[in-house]
Amino acid sequence: MSNRPNVWDRLWIEKTVWTLDQQLYDLPRDRRISHRRELRTNLTEATQAVGAREAVRQLGGTQQLAADYLDAELGTGPRGSWLWAAVFVTMGLLLGTSWLHDATWAFAQGVLAVDPEATGTFTWSGIDYVQSTVNYTFTDGEVTWTGGAWTPLAYALWLAGAILVGRLWRFLPSYGARART
Amino acid sequence: MSLHHDPQLLKGVISLLLLRLLAERESYGYELVQRVQALGLTDVLEGTVYPALARLEREGRVSARLVASTSGPARKYYRPTQSGYDALSEGIAHWDQLAGILRELLSTPTPDSPEESAPKSSTIGA
Repeated sequence: MSNRPNVWDRLWIEKTVWTLDQQLYDLPRDRRISHRRELRTNLTEATQAVGAREAVRQLGGTQQLAADYLDAELGTGPRGSWLWAAVFVTMGLLLGTSWLHDATWAFAQGVLAVDPEATGTFTWSGIDYVQSTVNYTFTDGEVTWTGGAWTPLAYALWLAGAILVGRLWRFLPSYGARART
Repeated sequence: MSLHHDPQLLKGVISLLLLRLLAERESYGYELVQRVQALGLTDVLEGTVYPALARLEREGRVSARLVASTSGPARKYYRPTQSGYDALSEGIAHWDQLAGILRELLSTPTPDSPEESAPKSSTIGA
């Protein structure tokens, strides 16, 4: 059997190629692109011989294939993960920023609880170590504020957290060479 | 002839097998899978061969080049480097040595039942 892949075959191949790509995020970008291209070529060739579904089936599952590619490229020992580091930073910043906003808003609500028609300026030093000073301006119970951002220490903690969660030291060339031997 | 093979056994020799085939003729991934299967190793799937090629390339045992294809995207052809040929010679020597030892052991008569392989000793009754 030798058929040129039709549109559905191509869609099936692309789905497989991009599913694998999602599981190879810890590889350098050029290696991911290279694996994508090669897999696309091989699946196209296999599709002409056995059909797209069978070609994909013969891969043995993208999850296992991705695991084998990662082992081949990065070694079989414990590895770092850019993906987990990125998830930590993204989720941490989202939740942390929400927390800062709540804390800032809580101070303003405290002032308004004492005097609903408050007018004047107030200063709050922010959450110790991680938040900069917040300056509030109250006008007849309406409040605006400036400041309250993350401190440099907070950013340093995010960075340290990302390194720990993603075990990023394992991407150092010296560590990688040791792991692959 | 098509037999099922222990995947762990094949995993240990897949690099040697691929290097040997590539030393004969440079090939791209899917073609190499077909050549492996034509040897009778029909349960060696693409998912085993492609990462093994990636490993060989990363180790510098094979080099790759893209060749335009009329039937689809450009194919990535692999062939052994000098380091690959060296590894192949070394691998063949190790394989011969291992196979020799195993052949000697496995060619001796095999016990047919657990009783035959049990140590001879007197049984202490209750």
